[in-house]
Amino acid sequence: MSAAISEPGAEAAETSVAVKKPSGGGLGRYVLVRFLLIIPTIFILTTLVFFLMRITGDPITAALGGRLTKAQLAERVHAAGYDRPILVQYFEYLGNLLKGDFGTAVSDGQPVSSILLNYGAATVELVFYALIVAFILGIPLGMLAAYHRDKAPDAALRVLAILGYATPVFFAGMILKLIFGVFLPILPVAGRGTTETEYIMSGVVGPTRFYLIDAIRIGNFEVLGDVLAHAVLPAIALGVLTAGVFLRLVRTNLIGTLEQQYIDSGRSRGISEYRLVTKHAYRPALIPIITVMGMQIALMLAGAVLTETTFEWKGLGFKLAEYLTARDFVAVQGIVVFLAIIVALTNFLVDVIAAFIDPRVRY
Amino acid sequence: MKRRTGAKAVAIAAAGALLLSACSTSTTGGDSGDDKGGMLTVGTTDKVVALDPAAAYDNGSSLVEQQIYPYILAYKPGTAELNPSIAESADFTEPTKYEVKLKDGLKYANGNELTSSDVKFSFDRQLKIQDPNGPSSLLGGLKSVETPDETTVVFNLKRKNDQTWPGVLASAAGPIVDEDVFSADKVTENQEIVDGKAFAGPYTIDGFKFNELITYKSNPDYQGFIEPAKTETVQMKYYSDANNMKLDVQEGTIDVAWRSLSATDIDDLGKNEDLKVHKGPGGEIRYIVFNYDTMPFGAKTDNADEKKALAVRQAMADSVDRQAIATQVYKDTFTPLYSHVPEGLPGSDDPLKAEYGDGKGGADVDKAKKALKDAGVKTPVELNLQYNPDHYGPSSGDEYALVKDQLDKTGLFKVNLQSTEWVQYSKDRTDDVYPMYQLGWFPDYSDADNYLVPFFYDTDETPSFLANHYRDEAMNKELNAQSSIADEGKREEALKKIQGQLAEELPTLPLLQGNQIAVSGKDVKGVDDTLDPAFQFRLALLSK
Repeated sequence: MSAAISEPGAEAAETSVAVKKPSGGGLGRYVLVRFLLIIPTIFILTTLVFFLMRITGDPITAALGGRLTKAQLAERVHAAGYDRPILVQYFEYLGNLLKGDFGTAVSDGQPVSSILLNYGAATVELVFYALIVAFILGIPLGMLAAYHRDKAPDAALRVLAILGYATPVFFAGMILKLIFGVFLPILPVAGRGTTETEYIMSGVVGPTRFYLIDAIRIGNFEVLGDVLAHAVLPAIALGVLTAGVFLRLVRTNLIGTLEQQYIDSGRSRGISEYRLVTKHAYRPALIPIITVMGMQIALMLAGAVLTETTFEWKGLGFKLAEYLTARDFVAVQGIVVFLAIIVALTNFLVDVIAAFIDPRVRY
Repeated sequence: MKRRTGAKAVAIAAAGALLLSACSTSTTGGDSGDDKGGMLTVGTTDKVVALDPAAAYDNGSSLVEQQIYPYILAYKPGTAELNPSIAESADFTEPTKYEVKLKDGLKYANGNELTSSDVKFSFDRQLKIQDPNGPSSLLGGLKSVETPDETTVVFNLKRKNDQTWPGVLASAAGPIVDEDVFSADKVTENQEIVDGKAFAGPYTIDGFKFNELITYKSNPDYQGFIEPAKTETVQMKYYSDANNMKLDVQEGTIDVAWRSLSATDIDDLGKNEDLKVHKGPGGEIRYIVFNYDTMPFGAKTDNADEKKALAVRQAMADSVDRQAIATQVYKDTFTPLYSHVPEGLPGSDDPLKAEYGDGKGGADVDKAKKALKDAGVKTPVELNLQYNPDHYGPSSGDEYALVKDQLDKTGLFKVNLQSTEWVQYSKDRTDDVYPMYQLGWFPDYSDADNYLVPFFYDTDETPSFLANHYRDEAMNKELNAQSSIADEGKREEALKKIQGQLAEELPTLPLLQGNQIAVSGKDVKGVDDTLDPAFQFRLALLSK
């Protein structure tokens, strides 16, 4: 039976190769083309961000305009070279970016590259926790919905999924803070750790800046527990949105898979519906999740700005909000471009993984 | 098989996380194991711009500087009285020479000696760097610094008997830094300062995460005027959201919440039996600026009339009810201000209280009506009043809505209230766009001079900060003179006379004075000792 199923697939692959071969098809070409596409994507994003940020004027005036006299301002603008033609500044900015120089924040004088290094890990860590929440909630509940398809539990879970991805992340965050910070104060609502944890982390030699990893490295389980406790609410706030998407996706794909011929064959052999769902159908249904992961991570990074601000989670989103408030466009530009690069690279990786798993998505 | 292992790992990790989360506790204070005075955690929403005094002139940075750097002079807690700190003595030896004798054996936490050379270095570098974020403008009165020997410093000043100079030495321009760690001609990086242990204040920095957490350890070698730190370790936690700080002080996660809780949060926390709300005089003031050219009947309007313009200002002063604004909008976290110099500073007075309204601080519509009628002003007078919604806190909108309401209700005025975002606002106000507008002020140093000279001293060489076209040569002379009066009593008299004249003229209309407010656990001591007219939050005085 399995041979019978695989044969048409093999034929299709051969046919596909026969057609695509002249243009050099296959995984290698796909990876190369997808990678090369990142370059114009980042270039366009960088250009857009640069010029949009400069519509309102130069960064010095934007950040310090209210505090300096006109003469001081002119002097600073001139010293920083912001009175030169905009194209000269643009090409200089691109040149510096290629060297890894994202500029220096106007409001606090911090090099943007060190901001990215110091706060990027916190954001990645938060997205990681949120993905765990999304997987833990989304996949089993999606399977449950598919198992009970068109019955009451399915309807309830679908409503739950809609609520999950329709609820604005800051609203979910505020509700969680209200519940677990005010009415039932059992979980911390601010920061990545208590002051003791932060103090210990500030002294960790050669830190990875991922608190989870650093806490394990130093073998301090109290710190580890504290770090995880602080992660619970922000991870739920951010992860619930993606959990809703995963739930719907798993349900739809699982129902589609359950209608496949080989599942019917299983049923005719007397395999229980539960076993069919959990053993035979769920793996193919998970593949689409990988393909939407890239987009979900991009959405999570966007959501992280609000989640981090709500929970004082000092990551890139938190800093971005701070610098926006301070009208520090150099720092904002640097963080936005960096996040764009991360999103582009994540999408590339996800596409490569999807192509590796499912040859049909290749060129 | 691999996938199953992965799923198991995720399940184990999740379970472990929940278990560890359940086991963990949020603790501060008391358990640090320190021999002396334990540990305190203080929260703030103020941000640090830089640890280098040459590059910072803001509340957040000054807060840190006051803990870690030595000053030649320091305020006596509870007063605005200056005393030698790391100096044995400090006084004028000649009208333009201010001589300081340093204490013997001063040193930094890194072991370097602190000598007169460091003092000269600290001031010279500020003048050289002139960072726009820094306080070098406060050193405008300094001509040069001499160091006759290792413990003697002579400041050569531009003005004779400059009574503001001691205040400058205790201000953001006054920290003494280590010449072996700091750069002479550029701003020194935060981490270099921390690594170099360039501290000689009551505390040193033991752990530093920029705008996240600063861990202070008491400095055993501190020889300044403030008593040695009462608590061995103080953690300063930085919040971006005051709501989170409120929750943390409520739950005891932090011991003290210092700047800036909203008025409603303070009101709410005041009802909590485990907490104490501490209030002290504050240096922040709020006022309305009148543009003498463009206000109704202003010098460059079609119907220019100096007398009528003055009557409009005076009638407005008669009509505003400051107490109502302080109570309704700010829940009494601000107090009414009846002078151009806030209460608590030597020389401050309250001439507007008796002169306007009901004579007791309240409004009086009949008096306002009379002022306008006597000057021949037809009512209602149309007022274009501007405020800024994003620089003076979220309550500015409510504050000015109430001002409008109070003025409109008199029937004498018709107020067009508008707001503009800060960057544009700060350009517009000096470009004569606004006939009358909101401003606020934090002092550079605790002296009445700092609330008068920057606003009302106006010459071609030194234009006023307000740029509202108020210029009075007689006032210029008086402002100049008061800063050189060495006799304290006579200087206070001169300051009161100036305030009286300003109350009659009203180039600005003072409205409110901010209180310094901290919220702490009931077991925390020393908070009230530091909420004084020096406007410095000294962590060294706190304990529990």
